[in-house]
Amino acid sequence: MKRTLRLSMTSGLLAVAACLALHPEQSQARDAQTILKETCQGCHTPEGENALSRISHQRKTPEGWLMSIARMQTMHNLQISDEDRRTVVKYLADTQGLAPSETDGVRYALERRLNTVEQFDDQTKQMCGRCHSGARVALQRRPAQEWERLVNFHLGQWPSLEYQALARDRDWFDIARKDMVPLLAKRYPLDTQAWKDWQKNMPKAEAMVGQWSFSGHMPGKGELGGIMTVSANGTDQFKVAVDGQYADGSPFKGEGSAILYSGYEWRGNVTVDGVNMRQVFAAKGGELKGRMFDKAHDERGLDFVAAKQGTKQLLAVQPGYLKAGSEGEVTLIGSGLEGKPSFGKGVEVVEVLEQTPERLRVKLKAAADAAPGVRAVSVGALKGVNLAVYRDIAEVKVVPAFSVARIGEGGGSTPKVQGRFDAEAWGKGTDGKPYRIGVFPAQWKVEAFDERAKEDEDVKYAGTMQADSGVFTPGDAGPNPQRKMSTNNAGNLKVIAAVDDAGKSHTGEGQMIVTVQRWNNPPIP
Amino acid sequence: MLHTATRGLAAIAILGACSFTAHAEESKALEAGHEYMVATNYPNNLHVIDLQNDSLYKTCQMPDAFGPGTVQLSPDRKIAYVLNNHYADVYGVELDSCKQVFHASITQQPGEKARSMFAFTVSHDGKELYTVANPTLMLNDHYEVKQPRLDVYATDAGMDAKPVRSFPAPRQLTIMQSGDDGTLYVAGADVYKVNVKTGKFDVLIPSRHWKRPLYSAPDVLYVWNQQTHRHDFSLLYTTAKFKDKKEDPATADYLYGFFNIDLATGKTETVDFGPLTEIYFSGMRSPKDPNLMYGVLNRLAKYDIKEKKMLQAANLDHSYYCISFNKAGNKIYLAGTFNDVAIFDADSLKQIGKIQLPGGDMAITTAQIFTR
Repeated sequence: MKRTLRLSMTSGLLAVAACLALHPEQSQARDAQTILKETCQGCHTPEGENALSRISHQRKTPEGWLMSIARMQTMHNLQISDEDRRTVVKYLADTQGLAPSETDGVRYALERRLNTVEQFDDQTKQMCGRCHSGARVALQRRPAQEWERLVNFHLGQWPSLEYQALARDRDWFDIARKDMVPLLAKRYPLDTQAWKDWQKNMPKAEAMVGQWSFSGHMPGKGELGGIMTVSANGTDQFKVAVDGQYADGSPFKGEGSAILYSGYEWRGNVTVDGVNMRQVFAAKGGELKGRMFDKAHDERGLDFVAAKQGTKQLLAVQPGYLKAGSEGEVTLIGSGLEGKPSFGKGVEVVEVLEQTPERLRVKLKAAADAAPGVRAVSVGALKGVNLAVYRDIAEVKVVPAFSVARIGEGGGSTPKVQGRFDAEAWGKGTDGKPYRIGVFPAQWKVEAFDERAKEDEDVKYAGTMQADSGVFTPGDAGPNPQRKMSTNNAGNLKVIAAVDDAGKSHTGEGQMIVTVQRWNNPPIP
Repeated sequence: MLHTATRGLAAIAILGACSFTAHAEESKALEAGHEYMVATNYPNNLHVIDLQNDSLYKTCQMPDAFGPGTVQLSPDRKIAYVLNNHYADVYGVELDSCKQVFHASITQQPGEKARSMFAFTVSHDGKELYTVANPTLMLNDHYEVKQPRLDVYATDAGMDAKPVRSFPAPRQLTIMQSGDDGTLYVAGADVYKVNVKTGKFDVLIPSRHWKRPLYSAPDVLYVWNQQTHRHDFSLLYTTAKFKDKKEDPATADYLYGFFNIDLATGKTETVDFGPLTEIYFSGMRSPKDPNLMYGVLNRLAKYDIKEKKMLQAANLDHSYYCISFNKAGNKIYLAGTFNDVAIFDADSLKQIGKIQLPGGDMAITTAQIFTR
């Protein structure tokens, strides 16, 4: 096992290790306190009641704790079984985790949304976010001394750090110690009211058991909905079954397991259609929200939101738009859907085709003179989702507007990272302001982003765009003797979507960098 | 830990094993008057190339792991000192015999792990070796980054050399050369001159802190520590020259330049030599015409320094990091990245040859050309 783990680590496949570690088996040979005492205390000094130096002065997400322990294994020869590691991660995430509010705004990192353009101040971007995500920092809580030790660890472990661009132009170590440490200790302190309150009021895991009505959207495939059934399978652990379908009728069915950390961090492994998918959700009241993605290809994933049976929630309208003067079928997804649906001015419910507490399928008609714009949808007293009515498409946006795909395979161990795109149509409201209509089917292609890309024939080498799905598969890794200077199959491309609206074509454009493999790929990027 | 403690012994053992199998070739002495080039590559080769016929003369096997493989030659050109084993050790290899005659670990203090970021050289008289150690104290449950150290070794100290003197040093130091008067010139945030007896660092050429009106602070990352025919110490920089006091980056001129120290006189220069249009990893002035500057990475380019303009550029089969001239200055040898040395005519920039090396990637090696 140790050998396997090492191989995974060195191939940069920490994510694989992550999934192993976050899925405990039933039997636990040693409890967390025993492991901490017998295994961690070898280096960490006891401090009073069950506390250990370093460990007891930090709070992190489950992935954060896993990365810390993995670091001890790869860098400090820690010997620990996978089972013990799972036990410790679970214990520390529960007792020294983050409150839900403390992960707000940075969950994209846990959800492996690697095309996120982060929003941090310049200092944090340059001092921390230049090598890893700023979110990795924002998902930790430490006092000043622990932040300072983290700085020392960084420079000690990677001595070239202070020689790199955006470090060699400044007294990096001094700035890290004197500016960043106080700033981080203030921004992300160990002791917070939010965590104290959360510990007191942390919901019981049993609240997760039952049926959940879910809605999702998978770029390149479309919208989906269905029921997720959760049953208890040990403390904070569950069996999970999903049963749903995509808008095109294809099934979305699978089974697996999940575990709840810190009272709300839901991590599941569900095999759908032979694909092992990971669930990273946050539970909040009767809602589960996050992302579900292919474990081996985390760019292939869907936005997911679910409502617990017995609660009353309106989650989604699929599709979320209708053309003025036309009729169309629309499905509402939620829980406890009762009463009359209403779609706002100019939109008439022609017929209710199906109505269950989780699903309401209706035929709608938008009046020819319906004003273009967004309408609040309601079912009985439930609100929270919108329907867009449009006459013309004013603009098509490629989402994500800026993205990174990666070459892979070609004899190497690292898989390719695809580009996956949506074409988002926008309209112009009566007030002249743009509004989002929704995701439309499109025809896709790539072009050279600039003169250099044209000259280097990036389109020819960097990969292939699937015209009808917006899925781009990069080329093989490694030097390519056919290219100038035997360079690899990297490229700088325009991603172009053409949306047809009643015979009129609208195009949108994004940028995709096709670059080299991500060698270091821990659970939190 | 065990590994650290026995590194010196392991080194001897490995060298011994290798010289046993390839004894005849390795002990082939270099010939007087011949011009040679040395370059290192994976897994841990020190190659000697004879420039009389541009072919591989012999290969010495080095101990431990490769990287960065930076070579510094003793003034008599008999010993190649190599910073290697992941920036952790300096090995002295006698070129005539391939025998290891010197070893110093960058790590010297109890409990520390230290690395040298290309920062080492031999003194002008060959008697001392200077290294800058960037140490970290490895405590039980945390690290403490310590102040860097200039460590001075006697080159005759053998296989477990200990510093004869040690001085505190600034952070972020890189390459260095020893002047004819014994002054040590070290690149860092600025270029320092160092008294190796007292350990006193003085700014000789302001770099990060230069006061050139309308110029941005320069960006310097220069890790090719070459011992040039011109007997100088030289580093490339890039900078922005603004139009006016508004310092608008959009309208600035982006420039390439070099810092230079004449190792005989200590005279310094800070010279812009042309517009920044592409990146060069290393650059060097022609030994025969000091007004010509060459740079290499994805192309080999030639500049007229006085005119501040690019004269010519040649395409390359692949990237090369490290540029060297033969002494006559008519041939350029490109090393780094793959395992071949490309030879170019310095006047026409036409490729005139290629030397394939056994072993793997040369990576960030610093090649040296010298005459015996």
